[in-house]
Amino acid sequence: MNIYNISIPRYSRRHNTIKMSIPTAKLKKPTLKVTPSSRAMNISTSGILRLNRSATYARSINASVSRKSFCLAADSKILEKSSVQTPKHTIQVLDENGKDVTPRPVYQPDPAAVQSKHSKIFASDTSGGTMSDFYSTTYQTTTNASFAGAFTRSLFGSGSVSIGSQSIMESMSEEIEDPSSKRDNSISLSDVQVKREEVKELIQEEMLDDMVDLYLVESDTLCLLDMPAISVSVDSMEAESVKERNSRYTELCKNRTGNDKYMGRSMQTFNGASKTKEVQSEAITMADAATIANNWDMYDSFCSAGQGEVDLSTDTDKASIAEMIHQNHGPTRTMERTMSVISSSTIVSSSSSRMEMEPFVVPSESKPDPELILQSEEFQQHLFVMERIILENIYQPKLAAYRQLPTLEDPDSMPKAVPMVVSRREESSLDEEGPPTPALERLWSFSCELTTGRNVSSMAWNKRNPDLLAVGYGQFAFKDQKPGLVCCWSLKNPSWPERIFTCQSGVTALDFSASSASMLAVGMHDGTIATYNVQSREKTPVIDSSDCVHKHTSPVWQVRWINHERALSGEDKGEALISVSADGRISKWFLRKGLDCIDLMKLKRTRNDRFKRQVGEKERKSEALISRQAPGLCFDFHPTDSNIYLAGTEEGHIHKCSCSYNEQFLETYQAHKGPLYRITWSPFCSDVFLSCSSDWTIQLWRQDLFTPVLGFMSTQRAVYDVMWSPKWATVFGAVNEGRMEIWDLGASILDPTIVNPASPGVKLTSLLFATETDCVLVGDSDGQVSVYQLKNFTAGEGTQVGTLEDIIGSTLASQL
Amino acid sequence: MAEVEETLKRIQTHKGVIGTIVVNAEGIPIRTTLDNSTTVQYAGLLHQLTMKARSTVRDIDPQNDLTFLRIRSKKHEIMVAPDKEYMLIVIQNPSE
Repeated sequence: MNIYNISIPRYSRRHNTIKMSIPTAKLKKPTLKVTPSSRAMNISTSGILRLNRSATYARSINASVSRKSFCLAADSKILEKSSVQTPKHTIQVLDENGKDVTPRPVYQPDPAAVQSKHSKIFASDTSGGTMSDFYSTTYQTTTNASFAGAFTRSLFGSGSVSIGSQSIMESMSEEIEDPSSKRDNSISLSDVQVKREEVKELIQEEMLDDMVDLYLVESDTLCLLDMPAISVSVDSMEAESVKERNSRYTELCKNRTGNDKYMGRSMQTFNGASKTKEVQSEAITMADAATIANNWDMYDSFCSAGQGEVDLSTDTDKASIAEMIHQNHGPTRTMERTMSVISSSTIVSSSSSRMEMEPFVVPSESKPDPELILQSEEFQQHLFVMERIILENIYQPKLAAYRQLPTLEDPDSMPKAVPMVVSRREESSLDEEGPPTPALERLWSFSCELTTGRNVSSMAWNKRNPDLLAVGYGQFAFKDQKPGLVCCWSLKNPSWPERIFTCQSGVTALDFSASSASMLAVGMHDGTIATYNVQSREKTPVIDSSDCVHKHTSPVWQVRWINHERALSGEDKGEALISVSADGRISKWFLRKGLDCIDLMKLKRTRNDRFKRQVGEKERKSEALISRQAPGLCFDFHPTDSNIYLAGTEEGHIHKCSCSYNEQFLETYQAHKGPLYRITWSPFCSDVFLSCSSDWTIQLWRQDLFTPVLGFMSTQRAVYDVMWSPKWATVFGAVNEGRMEIWDLGASILDPTIVNPASPGVKLTSLLFATETDCVLVGDSDGQVSVYQLKNFTAGEGTQVGTLEDIIGSTLASQL
Repeated sequence: MAEVEETLKRIQTHKGVIGTIVVNAEGIPIRTTLDNSTTVQYAGLLHQLTMKARSTVRDIDPQNDLTFLRIRSKKHEIMVAPDKEYMLIVIQNPSE
């Protein structure tokens, strides 16, 4: 048991009423009982000791501390009583030297009033020991009560007071002081309010002019927080004592084991009684999910990640992915997608495939209209391709023959006999035995229901794509006119044309441009010239000459795209469209604010010179002519010199003209007695040209001779078309009304080598050689363009130019 | 629309064509010239085969895609034009 001298904190001195302690003699009896458990208490109290060491005067306050509050209360009562009894007398402040420095109160409170308050306070139950009670009880009492309160508070608050709470205690004590002191003030103030005010006034009036001495004294250091250290430095003063204490403690601990003073005791804890509890839940349904993450699946996800990133929401949480995983009702593809989500490691792709899933799921859920499918562009394209494939299956052997590929027989099908066209050779030839006779094999024919009944008037190959054929349908005769038709056929589809253009009048001439390969020039029976763009699907011509002032007024019998290499004065270099028409004009068309033409030549009627030579005879009165122009029926430009061209008229004359002179002919070749239907220069011999006319003959000319070198006649039918073979110089084909003939001058100059009669009732009207293969196309008046292959036919090695020239030379020689 | 109809008709009238089937994405036939059971059988089987073929093509090169599929057998040739929304099937006997 320790007795501590506790002094009042300094600021309590400021109060009007000073709490004074009981005379020390009396107070010594009740001692501060400190329970052993409150070790910290010791420290704390010692702390308080420390705090108050600097007090100039010491007061000894003995507070009795016990766990039981009533004890305290009793003590405090004792204290109160004693304090009440002798408020004045007992208060004694003694300083170090024993001098009585008891501060005198400024005013004397009314003891009667105070007492009543006291009693009132004491009447309250203090056994409970609440703080408020203690507050009230200790308002005027000694600080020990308040300290007791502080102690009790700490006791009540916690079993052991930690070191850190010392400050709390101090603050609490200070707190307690304050309210209590305040209460003191308030109570005392209330009692002596009037007096105090008077006193104040007195002071103010009297002491205004007086000098007041103010002493500034440094107050004690207030320690607000003091956390004593757990460890002390080796150099410090307490180190020794601390070390001693520590060693004592360790010794104590060591001595504990095996020491009689210490007895081991066992304890038993009771285990709670266990109880089994059963829980039953529904069976967890498991569903299998499987997918294959393909190469392309991942590629698709990554591709759409680049597109879908804009729409990505930033919070693609795991919940959404989990959603996708459990979406079992979607089609298998979505399953694959979700699993690929899992398989992929990045969140970007997972979220993007979530994005990608949505556009995919939607079309499968909303049933697409079957009509929409049927009308879609892709369906049309697929149908187109499918048709071609089907036809390829059908026509495969024929097309292979066309391309001069070996035809392989289908092993699953039965071989069937191919109809052969038998040819007859009238002349005993060198090759009677040995190689088989040359023949024509009909491969197929371009025709459809649109074209049946129409007359094939002209055919032309596309300059860039040799598999594309343009066929013009139109009647030759004036009386049978009906709207014309132009069909572009592709080799890949012999049953339906790729493009169909209907024209207002019969088509009589066609040509593809060489520079812009999709431009097709069409000449019609009413004199109109139109150009079509076969690449587009439009049915209307690109340009039409119907608005032109100088347009042809009669049927246009031939059109040709000619490439002028040498630019004539004032004209553009390049390709120009030249046309010849029955109104006797050869016109060149160009595009200048619309289609316009200039006349290259006006074909004038030439009187028969032979009549003139008959000297002496009076000139016959010339017949009344309808026009001074001779209808032109055909023309052909020189293969190398694009300035020179030949024109054939209805009179039967061939005029050699030049682009530079549009008034006069350079030459005139007269031999035919009927209208000329075709003139062609030989592609190999630049001096030689062929002409055919309705006078049943085909004439072979040389440029410098005014009489034909050779004439060919096989039947008494008008020859509608003649064409040199692009492969051999000595071969040409001719078509007359009843049959198609292939002439090989190297074999015979009197008879055609191959003759193919036409079907009965059908007239053959046009002929075209295929450029790269040994095939001939023949158009007839029924709208069919038949493709024939020349079989076992060869005119010899090379182009046979020499042979032709030899033939011509020998013929001329024989004529002389 | 008329062109499509025309072309379809033309295809059906070509030499050796046995049947034409147009199936939508779900496998329901939209247009067919064969009887129902055959149509359904063809549609179902060819759908799976087309998927496998497309998967094969794209696995090799993901930027590639299947455009046409032709199966030549002893008796017929089956031609399939696949698309995202539909499938066009034509069965032809080319050796007739």
